[in-house]
Amino acid sequence: MTNAIQRKQHLVAYGFILPFFAVFATMFIAPLAYSGYLSFFAHKLVGGVKFVAFGNYVRAFQDPAFLFGLGRTALILLVQVPIMLGLALFFALALDSGRARGSKAVRLLIFLPFAVPGVVAVLMWGYIYGQDFGLTGQITRALGLPPTDFLSDQLILFSIMNIVTWAFVGYNMIILYAALKSIPSELHEAAEIDGASQWRLAWSVKIPMIWPAIFLTIIFSVIGSFQIFNEPKLLVEIAPTAITQGFTPNFYAFNVAFVNQDINYAAAIAFLLGFVIMIVSYVVQLSMHKREVQS
Amino acid sequence: MRQGARKAAVAITSIAAVAALTLAGCTSDTDPGSDNTGGTSDEITDAQREEALNTPTDLTFWTWVPDVQDQVDMFEKEYPEIHVKVENVGQGLDHYSKVRTASKAGTGGPDVVQLEYQFISSFAQTGELLDLTPYGAAGIADDYVPWVWKQVVSGDQVLAIPQDSGPMGNLYREDIMTAAGVTEPPATWADYKTAAEKVRANTDSYISNMAPGQGAGWLGLLWQAGVKPFGYDGSENVTINVNSPEAKEVMAYWQDMIQNDLVSIDPDFNDEWYQGLNQGKYAGWLTAAWAPVFLSGAAEDTSGLWRAAPLPQWDTSKPASGNQGGSADAVLKTTKNPIAAYELAKWINSAQEPALLFTTQQNFFPTAISVLEDPVFVDQESDFYGGQQVNKLFADISTTVDTDWQWLPFMEFAYSSFNETFGAAVAAKGDLAAGLDAWQDALVDYAQQQGFTVNG
Amino acid sequence: MTAQLTPVTAPPRTPSKSDKRRKAASRGKRRSNLLTLVMWLSVLYFIVPLIWLFMSATKDNSDLFTTFGLWFGHDFNLFANIRAVFAYQDGIYARWALNTGIYAGVAAVGATALATMAGYAFAKYKFPGDKLLFAITLGAIMIPLTALAIPTYLLFSSAHLTDTPWAVILPSLVSPFGVFLMRVYAADAVPDSLMQAARVDGAGEYRIFWTVSLRLLAPGMVTVMLFTFVATWNNYFLPLIMLNSGRLLPLTVGLAQQQATSAAGGGAQALFSTVIAGAFLSIIPLVIVFLYLQRFWQTGLATGGVKG
Repeated sequence: MTNAIQRKQHLVAYGFILPFFAVFATMFIAPLAYSGYLSFFAHKLVGGVKFVAFGNYVRAFQDPAFLFGLGRTALILLVQVPIMLGLALFFALALDSGRARGSKAVRLLIFLPFAVPGVVAVLMWGYIYGQDFGLTGQITRALGLPPTDFLSDQLILFSIMNIVTWAFVGYNMIILYAALKSIPSELHEAAEIDGASQWRLAWSVKIPMIWPAIFLTIIFSVIGSFQIFNEPKLLVEIAPTAITQGFTPNFYAFNVAFVNQDINYAAAIAFLLGFVIMIVSYVVQLSMHKREVQS
Repeated sequence: MRQGARKAAVAITSIAAVAALTLAGCTSDTDPGSDNTGGTSDEITDAQREEALNTPTDLTFWTWVPDVQDQVDMFEKEYPEIHVKVENVGQGLDHYSKVRTASKAGTGGPDVVQLEYQFISSFAQTGELLDLTPYGAAGIADDYVPWVWKQVVSGDQVLAIPQDSGPMGNLYREDIMTAAGVTEPPATWADYKTAAEKVRANTDSYISNMAPGQGAGWLGLLWQAGVKPFGYDGSENVTINVNSPEAKEVMAYWQDMIQNDLVSIDPDFNDEWYQGLNQGKYAGWLTAAWAPVFLSGAAEDTSGLWRAAPLPQWDTSKPASGNQGGSADAVLKTTKNPIAAYELAKWINSAQEPALLFTTQQNFFPTAISVLEDPVFVDQESDFYGGQQVNKLFADISTTVDTDWQWLPFMEFAYSSFNETFGAAVAAKGDLAAGLDAWQDALVDYAQQQGFTVNG
Repeated sequence: MTAQLTPVTAPPRTPSKSDKRRKAASRGKRRSNLLTLVMWLSVLYFIVPLIWLFMSATKDNSDLFTTFGLWFGHDFNLFANIRAVFAYQDGIYARWALNTGIYAGVAAVGATALATMAGYAFAKYKFPGDKLLFAITLGAIMIPLTALAIPTYLLFSSAHLTDTPWAVILPSLVSPFGVFLMRVYAADAVPDSLMQAARVDGAGEYRIFWTVSLRLLAPGMVTVMLFTFVATWNNYFLPLIMLNSGRLLPLTVGLAQQQATSAAGGGAQALFSTVIAGAFLSIIPLVIVFLYLQRFWQTGLATGGVKG
């Protein structure tokens, strides 16, 4: 009897997940498998297609363009992500403390950039960065500073980091803020009565309590950093020499596939990129888990 | 002899075809295909052409030429059975990658496609272009400026119909030059440097802007100097020689100009650059023949202040120019309607009415001799240039363009690696010769990796 | 992983009790001028570019570069620019906006339906392979979408689906994160006791889902819908490679292409003020959606955050 019910429930459950996994299999697994298949071949303009086993992967590890792109992503992970999440956490805590006036408006305004499509954000910042006639140009001139070319080889990475930070601080702040709001108020009221300062309260009560949310924002930022594409794709028009083909790994995969017409190598790069993301996410998860256990 | 006979046969075919078209309705009984003694390709007969043009047909035309719909409308009026869908799928590299992927997929691609001259051999190499000779293309060779025609042929194949070209000249602001104490347009590159120094010393402007990423423009300057950086035999052999002593000599001149801050090095065609033109940051522009009309729209506020002149020369006894840009229309092999597709490419670019409209509406500099000699075009006086007959000037310049320039069969890669090597050296005000060396290495590596045989 | 926290996953229609209490508490708190100042200065960083965008949308091409970016130009050209936006290529902008809305709308509804059913099943039923399938779903979150886009393109072109709306919509229907979110949400929002009671009443499993659970899942669904909607609305890479016809483009690709017409060499047109006005218009719908649906995204995000 129970077995029959159980079996029926299994069938029902499969019925529920079937539509998702049907689409998942065709739109996700199949392309992925196809991509994997393609990555074992090489295509040459003269000579055509031939099987090369792991040749494309070996090539990627010796390809300076791909490695520099990964390096830039690492720099973004180490510089931009901490700044962005630090700001998001600071704003979330400040809003949660209820000590700033107009905090509801502040929250909305900081979140607003998330509603701006990435393409529009990049176009807009592209204009703003103009060193002679853009907003930054106007401001540096008004302040009597030398004109700064935010689109030069040296600064372009930081200009891109700025765009990403601008767009995503609010999003991360909302995740953290919502998590903070879910902390039972009795907990920090008690701490406040004990005379703990806001800083201390944040550090030893609130942050540990919202650790899972912080973890989520870190993982999302890691994945997001590896996927940066819009910024180089659109800025390359106005900064053609500063943005190289391999500026970010994702942009490189696009260029290899659609500019260099080397679909096979692009598939290998895309695959490697997925692996790198999984490894980095896994490392982050492990270290977070350790931290969680400690605290 | 055989070759000659075949050429004649082809010429007859196409003349007959043209006659058939103009005498619409009159069918010709001659079947020039049967006269073809040497050719292996099947010539299209007039009957076939008539039939194709009178059968309801849908064509797709990918181009980023703005308002080209107007020329297409004229074509549809001429051939009411042919319906053409114009699509702009992006421009430059975006456009080419779309064409490539559609062509690879075998479906969803266009019948007729815009191709810049510099990319024709790249697409021919991958076998994507239809040889237009059987459709009568060889017969119209003499209608075009010789150096332009050379750009669309490969061996005995004709791969595209020329649309516009860009022989290079020097556009400059007369008012700023006068203020700087430069009364005559510089005749030599040495004069140009002297003038540049005066402009820097006496005004807030630069004599011109040399955009680091403008690969076609930099190559145009090499072209003018008679440098031959590329060669391609149509199959597996490429010549790559971008760091030849001659190329380095030209670039040494520019390195000196750049490092002495005599020219600016802003990226072009972005908002800042447009403003630079409008606001006099740049007192001049070394550019192509399509630029004069373009500039009159882009820098409207400065109307009447500009003048045009030939490029400064290396050797005034042998005036020369290079070419920058310009496009042709090609037919893809995947087309199901090759005859109609060929007629579209040919008609909009060679019939007098649409071809003239290109020069006035789309800023194009023509390639068909009949248009270049048309008084409507040549004698036009432009207010933007103080009443100067700019078209006549560029028509003269066009005759001084070296005919033997070739491209590599992988220009998409060549330009993107140009930006990363030579372009980056310009942007950094660095060693341009080293930039050329780096570009040479990148090109040779790529060519070898793609299986080409590389000649130094 | 860490379910020890009180989740804010209850339907967010009314502020929770502790929330009310905290509001009362915070009213009594000392306001900090310094913190207020710091916060509002930070706000400047986020809104100055948007102010610039608005001001620029009111300028013509020459004012755009010659007048101060954060104030009006000599002439107020907003309406002229908007007219230009809608006049460009016979009003193709309206078409792009419509496409964007359709793609985002269909993808959001479809993805939410799929994610809701799957998430609900993972949360409420035990079945062979559930752990593995869920782990695969979680793993999928890590795969960069661009890694899929190229092979997806090749598959679609062999199925003759490129350059059709389906090429953008079908891949957008897969939202592994949506499944994850709905699983977390369903676990708390639909009490097992309620399902059990319905079963005792003789209701079938699908009927329970349809009449009992769905209503409880609604707030979570709105969140998933909202985020898929935004993701599809903002998507650039996928439509960029999938679509060729101008009339099928969404706003992102259309605007980027319009911006690029300034760099078309001989045929170039400097459409900066038109592009900027078009960009400005394109963000208005999402801003309104976000303002209107605040409580959903705020609590919805918390669901993922708390239970991460």
